[in-house]
Amino acid sequence: MAMPVSGVPTQTPAAQAPTGSGHHALARIGRAVRSNRKATVGTVLLLIFILIALFPGVIAHDSPTQDAYAPQLGISTAHLLGTNHYGQDLFSQLVYGTRNVLIIAFVVGLATTGIAVLIGVAAAYLGGGWDGTLNVLTDVLLVIPLFPLLIIIAAYAHGGTTLVLIAAITLTSWSYTARQLRAQALTLRNRDFLAAARVRGERQLYIIMVEVIPTMTSLIVASFLTNALYAVLFASSLQFIGLGDPNTVSWGTTLYWAENNAALQTGEPLWAIAPGACIAVLGAAFALLNYAFDEIGNPALRPVRNPRSKRA
Amino acid sequence: MPELPLLEVTGLSVDYVLDQGSVRAVDDVSFTVDRGEFLGIVGESGCGKSTLLFAVAQLLSPPAVVAGGSVLFQGTNLVGLTDDQLSAVRWRDMSVVMQSAMNALNPVTSIGAQFKDAMRAHGKYSAEEITARSAEVLRMVGIDPVHLRSYPHQLSGGMRQRSMIAMALLFTPDLVIMDEPTSALDVVAQRSLMVQIKELQQTFGFAVIFVTHDMSLISHFSDRLMVMYAGQVDELGVTRQIFDKPLHPYTQGLLEAFPSIHGPRVPLKGIPGNPPSLASPPSGCRFHPRCPSAFDRCPAVTPDLYAVGGTLVRCLLHENGSPSR
Amino acid sequence: MTEPAENARHSPKAELLRTEHLTRHFKIGGALSRRTLHAVDDVNFAISEREIVALAGESGSGKSTIARVLARIYKPTSGEVYFEGKPLSGIRSRRDALRYSGLVPMVFQDPFASINPVFRIQHGVLRCLKLHRPELPAAQRPAEAARVFEVVGLDPSMLERFPYELSGGQRQRIGFAQALAMRPKLILADEPVSMLDVSIRIGLLNLMVKLRDEEGISILYITHDIASARYVADRLIVMYAGQIAETGPIEDVLTHPRHPYTQLLLSAVPDPRAPLSVAAETDRGEPPKVVDPAPGCRFRWRCPLAIDTCAQVTPELAELLPPAGGSGGGVPPGKHRHDVACHVAQTSAEEVKAFS
Repeated sequence: MAMPVSGVPTQTPAAQAPTGSGHHALARIGRAVRSNRKATVGTVLLLIFILIALFPGVIAHDSPTQDAYAPQLGISTAHLLGTNHYGQDLFSQLVYGTRNVLIIAFVVGLATTGIAVLIGVAAAYLGGGWDGTLNVLTDVLLVIPLFPLLIIIAAYAHGGTTLVLIAAITLTSWSYTARQLRAQALTLRNRDFLAAARVRGERQLYIIMVEVIPTMTSLIVASFLTNALYAVLFASSLQFIGLGDPNTVSWGTTLYWAENNAALQTGEPLWAIAPGACIAVLGAAFALLNYAFDEIGNPALRPVRNPRSKRA
Repeated sequence: MPELPLLEVTGLSVDYVLDQGSVRAVDDVSFTVDRGEFLGIVGESGCGKSTLLFAVAQLLSPPAVVAGGSVLFQGTNLVGLTDDQLSAVRWRDMSVVMQSAMNALNPVTSIGAQFKDAMRAHGKYSAEEITARSAEVLRMVGIDPVHLRSYPHQLSGGMRQRSMIAMALLFTPDLVIMDEPTSALDVVAQRSLMVQIKELQQTFGFAVIFVTHDMSLISHFSDRLMVMYAGQVDELGVTRQIFDKPLHPYTQGLLEAFPSIHGPRVPLKGIPGNPPSLASPPSGCRFHPRCPSAFDRCPAVTPDLYAVGGTLVRCLLHENGSPSR
Repeated sequence: MTEPAENARHSPKAELLRTEHLTRHFKIGGALSRRTLHAVDDVNFAISEREIVALAGESGSGKSTIARVLARIYKPTSGEVYFEGKPLSGIRSRRDALRYSGLVPMVFQDPFASINPVFRIQHGVLRCLKLHRPELPAAQRPAEAARVFEVVGLDPSMLERFPYELSGGQRQRIGFAQALAMRPKLILADEPVSMLDVSIRIGLLNLMVKLRDEEGISILYITHDIASARYVADRLIVMYAGQIAETGPIEDVLTHPRHPYTQLLLSAVPDPRAPLSVAAETDRGEPPKVVDPAPGCRFRWRCPLAIDTCAQVTPELAELLPPAGGSGGGVPPGKHRHDVACHVAQTSAEEVKAFS
């Protein structure tokens, strides 16, 4: 029994803005993105990267792998970031590498979050023996140190392809998110609207898919963004230490080659710095979107503009 | 020789600053509380009474801000003071009892530990002094001091609320502000708690501001009563007088919305409609869309507070200080 | 209350639901100290058609547990519930379960938690229609949803809105609309107005009376507020610590409360028109959590009238002796009995007052 409520619609700041369906939702998301500065910046950055990944040929005119130029050229209009030790155009490398990075980010993000939703919510909702078993599975993977495990997996796959990278990162990342989602699903389990759904005769699976999961979209989206961010960082790190396929064009592999050739010491600093900067910017884009999503979903977190500054 | 009132709120307004503009949750509210007085503030949810309370206790957090007015407590204006300056007053002279003890009490520490925190925050005390005082306040509210070791979830609802009140009385403040402390309780525990509060008040002489949505609950306990609607004060006066002869149509409606245990069973109507959205309140008198006595000037003219006998009422029917129709 | 309605309620009515020795226990404690919480013990009552029965008591009295057993959220530990003569334990197929849940729906207490916030209002109502009115073609469901909304006093345009746009009172009406959409015979209303402001409650209480009078639906009204129970109900069941303390026609029980707990409950109701009663000041007790109880009356620690028997023998619910000098034994036909579970009340010829 708690606080009484009455005839006032809850349009107060504490009201949660739910997601609707279709046109209505898109319009609201659009408005939310435009009004929140973090969301705008993050979205714009992400869109730029996506465009680059989709149409690399439009932006960079050279092939990234062709060592057609003189090595170690400085910045010029022909080579926006110069060339590396092998005479490859650095700018093209980064532009073409974007696709690999984004694919890893989105696929890992979606796969990790998908598995985590299935296992986490099922564990919470089914309870009992299922919960116990799934928990053991989750906890074991949670406790294993992530990076060493990644190294071992990647090493065993003989420095495998991007697919191996994606699989390895997904395998080692889903358990953290699963725990979070299970915790949130547990708090929802005894909410009256779920009891109401049970009492009116809905089936278990329907309740999980239609009634429970949509109320968790906030956390699910945040998980996706976080996992995408960490995928970028982990993948680049693995590629950097040589566990990716050194012949794929990606930011991490560029860093790998830069390190191999002691780029910083031999006067080619851009070779090392530029890919690092790209990773940082993409990471920042995901992080900004994460903050922004929090603020959009929970109005209490929004920054308050001082009203006195508005008065004459 | 009139004594200075303990608390004097003048023209207090509170806004919620949102993206789409400000919403005025408390509009130009003024009232006083004398030493040892029990003031009841009554209104429906959303009328601004909780916001008002938070504003008086200087507990507002963004996006709520004080937009105007003053809160004079023992002569000092609390609005605009820093946290450091306020801490001298907080808990020693003025304390707050929240609505739901389960939300206000820390669930992972024992009651005794929370009392200790409260005492330490407001002065240097030895461990014996703390334990002694904690046991004393618990006894004051009728709880065995052995429960200092208990966690909130181990106590029943009524005991939790009483320990909140005990915590508020640690320094025997001059003013205790209570935000619907009984609404989470059953009817027997509710009555028991109210009686307890009144007894404590009479023993220790502190003033009480009690916010509730249930008028009948404080009918026997408050000295004066303030009825709020849509962020404004609609009626303010001596409790018994308001119950015997309610002046504002809203107050009359509220009083008629209680089914009674005694007397004949009659169908009741309640007050039709819903309280207005504070973002776009009705023009003129805010109650006119729901008022059975509304007439042509009501949507056009915003009524002031008019004095009728000892009662203040915001209604055009009493414009001349006496019923004008 | 109109004349025809009064008369209709006194003519014999078909019995809808009956519980027999209904008991529900919960196991609490860890693996090392298994104890049993007796939430509901040996409860027997019946609900007829076209009547509102109030089930009143404080938290821990077992009233919500009873509602959940009747809604088939819990199974009884022992005892049986009969609906239209058939036992609930006989429900096995999904079809039977669905049929029952359409005839006996539940309205929940918290208007903010009982509606899924991410969907529009129509979601719940349409699902109810889809599951429980198979004879209604899909194309006609929106119209039917609009119709039940009007019956409960809501504007059908609200179907398109989201829950956060509506007030608490409006949301509770939605709960009743959803129940109504399923063509129920008995609505289990679990404290439907407790979380609403007092001024809004009347609207919903009037709605319940309307549902009984105009739609012929019975309601089990669970509450801790006796005054609202008096306003809507025909009969009252008072529960304490998992057992029935007193039951009977509501006016009888409220004007002649025989169980000391009922008297305490009545004295605690705030009534601005009455002077402050002294008795409530002396009671500082709380309802017990009944864990592995010994026999005896569970109210005895708070009861000023307790005698030795009260600590040894659990009182059974039995019909009251008529008061001395009263109109003699027997109950007028069509009227329900006034029963009480109290050794003192059953053995004394006059009414004894424990709390006034």
